[in-house]
Amino acid sequence: MKIGEKLSENILDKLSIDFLRNQVLKNAYGNNDTVIAGMDPRILLIWYLFFGLVPWFVSDIPFLIGCFVLVAVTTIMARVAGLVLFLFGLGVFSQTGYLLIVTLIFGGDASAIAPLLILTLKVATVSLASVTVFSGMDPDKLANGLMWYGCPERLSFSISYAYRMLPILMEEFQNILLSYRLRGNPPEHKSFIGKIKYLVYQIKIIIHSFYPLMLNTAKRSRTTVEVLEIKGYRYAAVNKNVKKIRLSCLKMSNNDLLFLAVSFLWIAVTILVSTLI
Amino acid sequence: MNVIETKHLTYSYPGADKPTLKDVTVNIEKGDFLAIVGNNGCGKSTFCKTLNGLIPQFIGGDFKGSVKACELDTRTADVADLARKVGYVYQDFENQIIRPTVLDDASYACLNYAMTDYKERGLKALEQCGLSGKEDDFIWQLSGGQTHLLALAGAVSLQPEVLILDEPIAQLDPKHADGIYRVLKNLNENHGKTIIVIEHHTEYIADFCKHVMLLKDGELKWVLPTEEALQQVEELQECNIFPPQVTIAAHRMKRAGGLNDNTPLPVTIEKAKDLFALKDDINTSAPLIPSDNSEAVASFRNVSVSYRTVKGEPHTVFKNLNLDINKGNKIALIGSNGAGKSTMMKLLVGLLKPGTGEVLLNGKSIKNVKPEALSRQISMVYQNPEDMFIKDSIYGDISYAMEVRNVENCMERTEELLKCFRLTELKDRDGRLLSGGQMRRASLAIGVALNPGILLLDEPTANLDIATRKEIMRTLEDMKEITETVVIATHDMQLVCEWAERIIVLYNGEVVADGNRNEIFGNPDIVNKVGIRPPEIFSLGQEINKDALCYTIDEFLDKFEGRA
Amino acid sequence: MSNTMKNSANASQKLMVFVLTMALYGLATLFTELIPKFQVGIVEFSVEYFLFIPLTLAMLFDPMSVALGAATGELVFGEIMLGQFGGLGELEKFITVTIGVYIAGRLVSNPENRKLVGIAAFGGTAIQLLLGTVVDILKVQFAIEDFEAVAGLPESVFATEGFAFANDLLFSGILFCLLPTLFLVPKLHGKIEPLLGMQPRTKETALGNIGWKAILGCVVAFAVAVGAEFLAENGMSLIDWEADWAESSTAFAIGMVVAAAVAVVIVLVMRMRTKSEPVGKDV
Repeated sequence: MKIGEKLSENILDKLSIDFLRNQVLKNAYGNNDTVIAGMDPRILLIWYLFFGLVPWFVSDIPFLIGCFVLVAVTTIMARVAGLVLFLFGLGVFSQTGYLLIVTLIFGGDASAIAPLLILTLKVATVSLASVTVFSGMDPDKLANGLMWYGCPERLSFSISYAYRMLPILMEEFQNILLSYRLRGNPPEHKSFIGKIKYLVYQIKIIIHSFYPLMLNTAKRSRTTVEVLEIKGYRYAAVNKNVKKIRLSCLKMSNNDLLFLAVSFLWIAVTILVSTLI
Repeated sequence: MNVIETKHLTYSYPGADKPTLKDVTVNIEKGDFLAIVGNNGCGKSTFCKTLNGLIPQFIGGDFKGSVKACELDTRTADVADLARKVGYVYQDFENQIIRPTVLDDASYACLNYAMTDYKERGLKALEQCGLSGKEDDFIWQLSGGQTHLLALAGAVSLQPEVLILDEPIAQLDPKHADGIYRVLKNLNENHGKTIIVIEHHTEYIADFCKHVMLLKDGELKWVLPTEEALQQVEELQECNIFPPQVTIAAHRMKRAGGLNDNTPLPVTIEKAKDLFALKDDINTSAPLIPSDNSEAVASFRNVSVSYRTVKGEPHTVFKNLNLDINKGNKIALIGSNGAGKSTMMKLLVGLLKPGTGEVLLNGKSIKNVKPEALSRQISMVYQNPEDMFIKDSIYGDISYAMEVRNVENCMERTEELLKCFRLTELKDRDGRLLSGGQMRRASLAIGVALNPGILLLDEPTANLDIATRKEIMRTLEDMKEITETVVIATHDMQLVCEWAERIIVLYNGEVVADGNRNEIFGNPDIVNKVGIRPPEIFSLGQEINKDALCYTIDEFLDKFEGRA
Repeated sequence: MSNTMKNSANASQKLMVFVLTMALYGLATLFTELIPKFQVGIVEFSVEYFLFIPLTLAMLFDPMSVALGAATGELVFGEIMLGQFGGLGELEKFITVTIGVYIAGRLVSNPENRKLVGIAAFGGTAIQLLLGTVVDILKVQFAIEDFEAVAGLPESVFATEGFAFANDLLFSGILFCLLPTLFLVPKLHGKIEPLLGMQPRTKETALGNIGWKAILGCVVAFAVAVGAEFLAENGMSLIDWEADWAESSTAFAIGMVVAAAVAVVIVLVMRMRTKSEPVGKDV
């Protein structure tokens, strides 16, 4: 029930959409001068492929710790927004925290702790690797990188368009919620019952606000798609040349190689340590 | 040479029972700067969409006749080829920008059409549109005017021969509006582009356009040189187009016999100033409104506010702001985009809490009060009425606030408001699907539903054609009876002059002037510093005699006579 | 000629629907990501709080565009934008959401028919949840090797998995999918279509019944989803890396360290050189 209380405080009050918008924008565009953001997306994606997959297959604790330290450092280098880190923490905690409780209830014992630690490290390493790559990279670069690896054009368009639209959409949503806020009359929420009622009220408002939001967004998408037609979006989607030109801006630099080499060195050292123990 | 040729163009939208365009035959010459005017729904936008092949290639419907753009038949030509000939800038230009950064968006079309020099083309377009130096900015960092210029640059990048702009200045303050038109003029004169604008600001037409085309109910009335076109005062007014104020003034004086019948009507201040002279016997100074000593209903006490920004330091909007709004005030809040007008309104309704200092409403601090608890004291109407519509009918929207508060005789009051704002017939329609003026009236009705003592209006006349604007101004005039204290944030100086009793000028987050219209418009320092553009008729009076302060055509005609 | 014209108009409308759904559902999932997940081990109470958005739109517009738009929106806004991208495993959700929404959209031939809308909304949600549950259970069965040592875990997984499905369907399925869809579809029908320049869906213009092709497509897609999920999470049981690892000798590890160090040095030297040359640039 505590969760319910927390939720009712969170949804509209503490976590204002303004804050959210700011954090997401910060995450997307506020860190475009970091080392990570300056790197070639193709290299980062390969790097991610390693750190996003390999930890799942390995249960060696020193190796996992090594990987974890490395991705933690890269996350710091990427200057990821606080909200994303908070979500990361929450995700890791809820995954292993609950697991622990359930194992204990169903008759598990202390022997469960070690596998749980390994699992936690795995989850944390993989998530941080994805945080580094997907939050640290400029969305446009990411889109180009994915395209280079042959992802559908629609996906890379969606990524950069999403970042373009997000501030507008959020503002629109915020304005509609404000309309409800200014004209609505939420239930008193001092008592416990009141809090539950308030939570229900908030959920209802959010659902209701999608009715105007859908109509407003529909108006927008029409213009957007007409413009896409004029600007030759569909023409480009089937033209190989366009892809080539677009991807020609991807260039690998020494920094990228250095990043790979240092990561490699670190992993090699961890393996060495783990064989020595 | 003609860049556009249409022959017997008739078009109806899919599912529509009446054609939107009827038998339009027109030629547009290369190098022209053409304004298309007409009442709402006369088919202006539709006509323009036929010129770049959007109709009928992407929007179906019944298309008869032919359109040739730069020798290409729009029905059969490749869209890629057409796009390189005809560029289009939408009215809701914000949605036209697709990429997250400036240069990227400007060069997007060139990239899609596989031009290897797409970057250079984008850069060139940015330069032509006066956006040099902004290449790496993100879209949301741009002001409204710059966003519009970028939408233009996106179209210019393909270097089309024809550029079409749908109401390019509807949402801009005068400074930015001038900027857009200067860019268009440059493109027209120095780069040989043919420009077509849909425009109802006739002062801009008079200053910049070469020809005017009048559409009425889907039919072409005429295409005339600008001067001649704007003199068709009666025909234009019939279509809800209002010629420049100076032209109307001269027209009215002519009808009253004050001017020679043969004199052509002036369309700019430059031409008009020699036609009029001050009457000798009239006292030039307008009566001053006595300063009021009524109690303050809202006050700012040492208020400072700043916003979080994506990068770097927070942006400070107000620093130590002190201001009183008194009971019964009819205030116009003016200042350029970003001066802090919206922030001030948000502070008043409690949506934004000041960093330091406090905001008082009816003598009480609203620091710990939730915004919804204030809604009986103060209410705000957004600039974009669509954000006010949260229900599926305007009846539902107007009654919502009263219903949830269990207001007695809520139904009667809703009916009353519907009647008062002339919305009774539309009450079951969705607000979003109404026309611009109806939408605006509905949003005002929603704003006063709870009968608040203070009403805040954000740009109530933006995006409206002149006829609708007049209608809204009449509604606002009526509302003076309903609501005691009203604050309007606006760029619309005609509204300011005709409606406001007190004007507050904001500049970089500071109140730089506060007074009646004579104190503001009669003070050249303020006018120049803040970039206020007074109504044309006021400037005309000033041009002839510095002491003449007349804000409306009626006042002008009272004080001036035709020069013999 | 008129045929190609119709085609491009159609493709453009599909793009519109795709963009609309992506933006709306994406925004919604951005918020869902912020609501703490109730997770019990690998069993997730996978409430799609906002599934009503694509469900509603799928009943009004082209279901396939809506389904793909919704899945893409979730991937882009909810996962990539917040850095929560879970690798291949995301494919599972992508595909289950697509299938659920698509089927729901195809079921509704006439949005005016409330009963049908209700059945489709509930059915679509049930399919999406069921597919998710099946994947989860299969996943656990394959992963059991790792967890067998922990007494009581398999039973707990089956119990919680079943409970999660029932709970998700009855609680959130009704509250967040069925009711909002029933509320929104009639309100939007006939209003939102003209905004996109389309004709509202009626009995005559509906796509017709779901054919065997659609079903086959769904089955194949689901198989891919299951496969991807395994690859993502249970690769360890497919490829035995563990054993390989244990045998790797210290000497081999030292060799790797040396190789890596050499690589770092080489790159550093290359960097120094290019820095000293004024025009030096990319490799």
